[in-house]
Parts: sequence; C-alpha cells; structure tokens
Amino acid sequence: MESIPTERTSPGELYTAAIEQWGGALERLAAAYEADREKRRDLSQDIHFQLWRSFHHYDGRCSLRTWTYRVAHHVAASHVIREKRVFSALVSLEEIEALPDEGKGQIGVEQNLTLTKLAILIQQLKPLDRQVIVCWLEGIDAESTGEITGLSPGNVAVRVNRIKNILARRFRQGGSYAG
Amino acid sequence: MSSILIQQKTHQLRAQKRQRVFACFVAPGLAVFSYVFCLKLYPPLQQAVHYLFVFSFAWSAAGAYFLKRGLSSGELPEAAGLSTGLEFCRGEIKRQLSYLRRALLWSFGPILLAIGTLVLVLATRFPLFPVGIPFLTVVVVWIAAYVFIRARQQRDLERELDELSEVEKANSI
Repeated sequence: MESIPTERTSPGELYTAAIEQWGGALERLAAAYEADREKRRDLSQDIHFQLWRSFHHYDGRCSLRTWTYRVAHHVAASHVIREKRVFSALVSLEEIEALPDEGKGQIGVEQNLTLTKLAILIQQLKPLDRQVIVCWLEGIDAESTGEITGLSPGNVAVRVNRIKNILARRFRQGGSYAG
Repeated sequence: MSSILIQQKTHQLRAQKRQRVFACFVAPGLAVFSYVFCLKLYPPLQQAVHYLFVFSFAWSAAGAYFLKRGLSSGELPEAAGLSTGLEFCRGEIKRQLSYLRRALLWSFGPILLAIGTLVLVLATRFPLFPVGIPFLTVVVVWIAAYVFIRARQQRDLERELDELSEVEKANSI
C-alpha cells in the first residue's frame, strides 16, 4: 500500500504515521478482542506500547500497514490466549456454525442488534479467525489479509465467506424474531 | 504515545515479570517450610527423611531456574512484525504447552515429594486413621484437581496446535 523510507525515518515518526493512518482501526481491533471496557483500554494501551517498541526494529521488509496490523494482532492474540487460559472457551468456525443463536430474544434497535451480534460473534472466535474477520471489516483485501495472518488468499476468502454466511443466517433469524 | 505512558507500561511489564519469577520459588519455599516444620516438631528425624527433603529442595530449586528461564517478559519478540498471525499463534501455544509440561515436572513434582515426606513424618508420630483423614482427603483432592486441570489445558493446547497444522495444510492446497 505505502512504503516509508525507513533509513531516514525514526521509530517515533513511524509510530506517528501508523497511528495517523490506522489509529481508529486499532481501536476497533481492540474492541473485537476484548468486550470488557477496562480490559479493552489496557489492551489498547498494550497495542500502542508494543507497536511503538516494535518500530525500533522495522526495516521495511513488509509494508507499514502489514507491520502495524501484525503487531497489533499479535498483542491481542497474546491477550486472548492469556485471558482465556484454555482454548475450550473459544470456538472454531465449525463449532460456531452449529451453535444456537444466543441473541434470539433480544429486542432493540436493529442496527444496535446487528452490531452487538457481530461483536459477540467475533469475540467468540479463535485468534486466527478474528484476525481474518477484523481485516475484512477494515476493508483489507484477501492478499493483504494473507500477508498479515499467514493464510493463503484462497483460505482467507473461504473463511470470510463462512463467517459472512454465519452472520447472514443469524441476522435472518434475529430479523424474524424482531419482526 | 506519551513518555509517561511508556514509563507506566515498562514498570507494569517489569512488575508482572517479578510476580511470575516469584511464583517460580513457591515450590522451593514449600520444601523448606515442610523441612523446618518437621525439624521443629520432631527433631530426631530419620536419615532418609533428611535426604528426601534435601532432594525435594534441590529438585524444586533446579525447577525454579528452568521455569524462570522459559518465562516470557510480556514483551513481543523484536521481529514480531515479521511473523504472521499463524506463526505467532503457533509459537505462543507451543510456549504455553512447554511451560505447562515443565511446571508439572519441575514445580508440581517436588511439591508432591515434600508433601509426601511431610505426611510420612506425621504418620510415624500420629495414627493417620481416622484423625488424618480430612487432611489426606484435601491433599488427594487437590492433587487430582491439579492434574486434571493441567491435563485438560495440555489437551486443549495440543488440539489447537493440530488445528493450526490443518490450517497450514489447507494453505498449501
């Protein structure tokens, strides 16, 4: 996407450039990984701190965006693994497809319901699937998502499609209840 | 990022690391405590009991070293931005799995030995049945629960590694 000449750019400048461009995305990323407000603030600070540290080692081998997203996702994945302790608390795409919709009885504004459902769904996913869906929601293409996550673009597309199908199915179910 | 926040985070990481290092010394501490407790209560201990306590302490002290060596500082590796999400998750899970295994061998093992020796000493002085039954029950339940929880965590992590391997396979198709 963009390439910043690293030899003449200080870590502080790289950090500032990254935050100017993707600061909002990093906040949304933290929200996708942590539901609790206090913990989310801590996670967000951790992401910023580790990102700031990481730019001392940035050598331009990947784009600034890829680096920023990778570091942020790594911090958030570490947080999930640490907080959940056991992976049994998280579900894979196969499991989530088979889960009943927990938000069926909720009544509220449709948009809020949609966002809530989306947040609940994302926060149940395992770190790798979260990375994929967060990148997709940020409008990052499959190839760049592949660079960040390590999945092939085909694998990314398959996962995004499955998540979209789960969401569509849940929202249809939710719609009939709201209506 | 403000310099105050950077300082705060640095202090926080150091404090977390100190706590984790301190936790590594629980087993040697327990071994020493059991030994001193037995010496105070029943000074003429059998030679074998001395050896068992000393071995338990040496084992847990070596364990503290090995556990401490594998502790994460809470900071990301320097080249974190060069590894993909898949590589990073695999590394984190492997690290956790290795820590769990080492904790069983180097921390839980010596604690069991120290407690076992303590029970042995108590058994030579008091009739364990029926007075010691509540204590023994608590110890057995604690051991069983610890082993069960750790085994479940290990299985979860191993399953997670298998899933990541499947994802990698799917990548190459």
